[in-house]
Amino acid sequence: MISQVFILSSKGDHLIYKDFRGGAGNDIVSIFYEKVTALTGDQPPVVMNHKDIYFVHIRQGGLYWVATTTAGSSPFTITEFLNRLAALVKDYCGSLSEKSVQMNFALIYELLDEIVDYGYIQTTSSDVLKNFIQTEAVTSRPFSLFDLSNVGLFGAETQQSKVAPSSAATRPIQSSREQGGKSEIFVDVIERMTVVIGSNGLLMKADVEGEIRVKCYMPSCSEMRIGLNEEFSIGKSQLRGYGAAVRVDECSFHQAVRLDEFDSHRILRLCPSQGEQTVMQYQLSDDLPSALPFRLFPTIERDNGGRLLMYMKLRCDLPPKSLSQELSSPDQSAELKPQSRAVVWKIARFAGGTQLSALFKLEVPSLSSASMLEVGPVGLSFELPKITATGLQIRFLRLSPIQPGPSQRWVRYVTHSDSYTIRI
Amino acid sequence: MQEWANQLCENRQFGSKMTDSKYFTTTKKGEIFELKAELNSDKKEKKKEAVKKVIASMTVGKDVSALFPDVVNCMQTDNLELKKLVYLYLMNYAKSQPDMAIMAVNTFVKDCEDPNPLIRALAVRTMGCIRVDKITEYLCEPLRKCLKDEDPYVRKTAAVCVAKLHDINAQLVEDQGFLDTLKDLISDSNPMVVANAVAALSEIAESHPNSNLMDLNPQTINKLLTALNECTEWGQIFILDCLANYTPRDDRESQSICERVTPRLSHANSAVVLSAVKVLMKFMEMLPKDLDYYGTLLKKLAPPLVTLLSAEPELQYVALRNINLIVQRRPEILKHEMKVFFVKYNDPIYVKLEKLDIMIRLASQANIAQVLAELKEYATEVDVDFVRKAVRAIGRCAIKVEQSAERCVSTLLDLIQTKVNYVVQEAIVVIKDIFRKYPNKYESVIATLCENLDSLDEPEARAAMIWIVGEYAERIDNADELLESFLEGFHDESTQVQLQLLTAIVKLFLKKPTETQELVQQVLSLATQDSDNPDLRDRGYIYWRLLSTDPVAAKEPPSAFVEGSRGVQHKRLPGSTESESPDTASAAAVSDAPPAVIPSQGDLLGDLLNLDLTPPTTTGPPPPASSGMQMGAMDLLGGGLDSLLGGDLGGSPAIGAGFGAPPAAMPASFSAPVSGGLDDLFDLGGGVGMPMGAYSAPKTVWLPALKAKGLEISGTFARRSGVIQMEMTLTNKAMSVMTDFAIQFNRNSFGLAPAGPLQVLTPLSPNQSIEVTLPLNTVGPVMKMEPLNNLQVAVKNNIDVFYFSCQYPISMLFVEDGKMERQVFLATWKDIPNDSEAQFQIKDCHLNAASNKLQGSNIFTIAKRTVDGQDMLYQSMKLTNGIWVLTEMRVQAGNPVYTVKKCVYIYIANMVDRI
Repeated sequence: MISQVFILSSKGDHLIYKDFRGGAGNDIVSIFYEKVTALTGDQPPVVMNHKDIYFVHIRQGGLYWVATTTAGSSPFTITEFLNRLAALVKDYCGSLSEKSVQMNFALIYELLDEIVDYGYIQTTSSDVLKNFIQTEAVTSRPFSLFDLSNVGLFGAETQQSKVAPSSAATRPIQSSREQGGKSEIFVDVIERMTVVIGSNGLLMKADVEGEIRVKCYMPSCSEMRIGLNEEFSIGKSQLRGYGAAVRVDECSFHQAVRLDEFDSHRILRLCPSQGEQTVMQYQLSDDLPSALPFRLFPTIERDNGGRLLMYMKLRCDLPPKSLSQELSSPDQSAELKPQSRAVVWKIARFAGGTQLSALFKLEVPSLSSASMLEVGPVGLSFELPKITATGLQIRFLRLSPIQPGPSQRWVRYVTHSDSYTIRI
Repeated sequence: MQEWANQLCENRQFGSKMTDSKYFTTTKKGEIFELKAELNSDKKEKKKEAVKKVIASMTVGKDVSALFPDVVNCMQTDNLELKKLVYLYLMNYAKSQPDMAIMAVNTFVKDCEDPNPLIRALAVRTMGCIRVDKITEYLCEPLRKCLKDEDPYVRKTAAVCVAKLHDINAQLVEDQGFLDTLKDLISDSNPMVVANAVAALSEIAESHPNSNLMDLNPQTINKLLTALNECTEWGQIFILDCLANYTPRDDRESQSICERVTPRLSHANSAVVLSAVKVLMKFMEMLPKDLDYYGTLLKKLAPPLVTLLSAEPELQYVALRNINLIVQRRPEILKHEMKVFFVKYNDPIYVKLEKLDIMIRLASQANIAQVLAELKEYATEVDVDFVRKAVRAIGRCAIKVEQSAERCVSTLLDLIQTKVNYVVQEAIVVIKDIFRKYPNKYESVIATLCENLDSLDEPEARAAMIWIVGEYAERIDNADELLESFLEGFHDESTQVQLQLLTAIVKLFLKKPTETQELVQQVLSLATQDSDNPDLRDRGYIYWRLLSTDPVAAKEPPSAFVEGSRGVQHKRLPGSTESESPDTASAAAVSDAPPAVIPSQGDLLGDLLNLDLTPPTTTGPPPPASSGMQMGAMDLLGGGLDSLLGGDLGGSPAIGAGFGAPPAAMPASFSAPVSGGLDDLFDLGGGVGMPMGAYSAPKTVWLPALKAKGLEISGTFARRSGVIQMEMTLTNKAMSVMTDFAIQFNRNSFGLAPAGPLQVLTPLSPNQSIEVTLPLNTVGPVMKMEPLNNLQVAVKNNIDVFYFSCQYPISMLFVEDGKMERQVFLATWKDIPNDSEAQFQIKDCHLNAASNKLQGSNIFTIAKRTVDGQDMLYQSMKLTNGIWVLTEMRVQAGNPVYTVKKCVYIYIANMVDRI
């Protein structure tokens, strides 16, 4: 049971405060803020308590989303709820920021009233909520450069011609009715890779977590069919079709997904609700169908002057985009971060089939052969557009009945690094 | 609206500086006034904007309760948006304005009849949130209707409203029969209604533990399970949590419930998954382990738990905590999933630590190689805390999985090779634990450990290393050197290290008694005499006593630390060891309980004296060198004088005074006090017995605790190797800790002043005593005191300033170069006027012995002659201020009891020069 929900800005301003069960002191918000700002880095921030009140909070969009509860409740449920709440507010307000929450406080109160009653979570489905919500969202216009930095997953790739404008996916779901918003549907296949390559160059661990997300701006969409690769298989033993199967270990679906065509044709049928939802989640461990995207060949030695020489050769094993290769080397920069004791090597763009190398010379006081052992692992973070590590593809995206008027469907693939570690 | 919201932001930033706002004027009154006007406007849009503004003010904490009637007036509207806003306001302020809240009741009742189900639900929901007693009676009828409403949305809202009402007025709810209606709703056709009814009933049942409200029987369970498949994800959580309270009748029922709950494991909402796991974990208990289904279920539990880890870090953390509990209960569920818990470099530290803990719990012989390889990698990460934890984890693995111990040790050795300071220290602590668990197995690595001795700067690592050296002393050639090196800075070490060092050296002594006798004396004296720490002293005394009693028997207790938990040492009370060897008097003298344990002052002093003065016993090892020397000196002088002077010091003229001879003449500046001073000094003869020389009198209580708010000071004076010292025992008999000690002397006859600050560094806890030695010099301001050797002292602590006076023996002022040339002595002696003479008698003196002993006190015998059967000793001494004292001592030969002493002539330094 939730006693109160409040949203605070990063500076501790009260943006939203809703007391569901009464009886809480007025200073509860400031107590929370004091506690949360006093936390040190290694203390788990999720649950804190003050006397018999428990604070559960998450941070999203630079805001604190806090729920208070009593000892008997499951923190997991409440954390999950807060995540959903943040997602809903994002759907309804277009984006998550202090400003958007402030401008839409009436809408958010209305949402909270419907989502939670007397501390019992009622619903977080935008389909259900659209029947009750009266308030219109207020969005910040005009579009500013600042908002560009907020471009989320549904942002655009600038090189492509067939792209959605970057702000397309950051508008409130309900504005489509009156503001004449386009009927649009965005489907993202997002994968996160966790890779560990041992110091001997052998692959020690390779996991992929993936999900298919749908963001829907279609008020009257009754059914959508998403076709996946026909040879898509689940589990270790199952194999379908010929050749390289697209395989995952585990797969779970949103409860609105109907799977009657899934076994035979790998088609997901669902009626998407307004806003963003995760339709399917899947995992694959240790058995990637394709080669790893990046390989690093590090050499570390000491020179005569007592400097540490790190020679890094980084190769991208993705298929080259086209025959016309860029000849100039891409923009790169490197920086030593003394605080985290790390060298950060930034590469803006990295074409498939190419390789880059860098030589870092580090002056290390009292360098010994033992300190060579201290040189830690290399972590790679990257984003690979238009590629899925599992090979999962969306064959088609059909809407029925056929939408009146112009409607647009966007499909995007992206693979992120979650934790891509190469040990030295 | 956007415009005013923007202004709201700005207004909050600039506060009252803002001048150009049509919504927020600078004075609060004006703002309220304007809002009032707008609320009463005819235009619906304007009203709505005004209510929004009111709510915005409410959110940021402004008091807008004054607008209550105006806002309530806006309630009667068919605009749902406006209505909701007004209700929002009502919920917040109704409690503070209960009388006015009644005004709203009519509208509520009317709204509950509204054709629009949204409005009906809204009204019943809001009414429940207005926690005003008067309203509740009006609420009953509308609520009864709404509980039977045709629209499920209204019913589910009404179900929750029963719980709200119950919280305000439980009796009313029971009287009105709402609880039965609520029970009926469990069989409702709409799953959402069922879920809310379950939630409401569960909560009400909690406040009536014996009410049988939620009597879960197979029929209700069946209904709940049916609703489970249909209701929303959050409703499923209510139902699952409720199911977890049910106890099935047999294993068949529990299997069938498990079967129906299992599909929830693949739900996208991880909170549902976890609630399902909770139910399954409980019901699995009922299932026989050999059942096929049991195995299947176990297998089904792992993947959803693994999936939980792909969530946001916050959820991941909560999930990990839950998994940690599950793993403790049933490690078999996740035994094949070790890899999932390997940390990612971008995990927050709290997630990393939780994963580390689970990894260790899952570690088994099958996967230990994998785990160790992983842990070793973590030890090279940047985050120091995490690295330390990883190294510790290796140790925990070794202790958990015996077969892996060897591998763990070699991994730790690899880490020590990195020479990274904190890794090395942590590894040594861990290796110590492994040694304790598996004794005499891995001592081959000790050489490597010893190489790193110098780099250890953390107490825990130092203590661990010392433990290892002590434990394996027989295998380390230079164990004594190693331990000795630690001993140098003994007092700068932390208690942990000191205790460990003490134990280790005692162990070493037992193993190699011949070479290490000095070392053990040294450490025992450091621990017992120079330390303020009662734990350390306790342990020091115990060892000392045990060693002096019977080194063979003593072997046992220190070896107990081999297996040792640290607690053993603290539990070993002095009394218990005493009873083991009650027959050894000398040992009792040495190891009598430390002062802190003894409550009564008299005992305390007695014990202290015992400890200080008892000559080293022959049965045990002699006391440590430093104190041994001191004791030796005391023995010579103290013991000698005791026997020399006999027992009737009190009655006879004190010999101290005899030596404390009057000045015959003083420097010019001293002229005034001199004459008086002479008499004073002579008067001293009748005074208290003055001890002399390096022998220091027993401590007497200078400042009783009663007079000084619990601070008791006893003390004495002594001259040790040319330095005058004031030796004090400070005892805290108050209830609070004393700190900030300082001392000051009043001007006195010989210009005595502290040569340094009072060294009481640690706070003095209640019932603790501390020995302080304060060196004195004689360069302070001079003023004649009455009596001459009186000293007025002020001692300050954090509580107050206290004053006391004490008298010091003149003998401590005798300087080392007080031996006068024979010729000079003769000449001076003759020059001394008769009126500067004084005579005293001492009994029971042995002449030669006395002469030797007295020299120790800087009283030098210049000549000796025998006249008429009397032995005559001529002696000289010099005071710190340059005054000479010359004495003649006559001893009646053949009658050692009767001794006469003729004194006294004084000379001034400059006069000596002149002659």
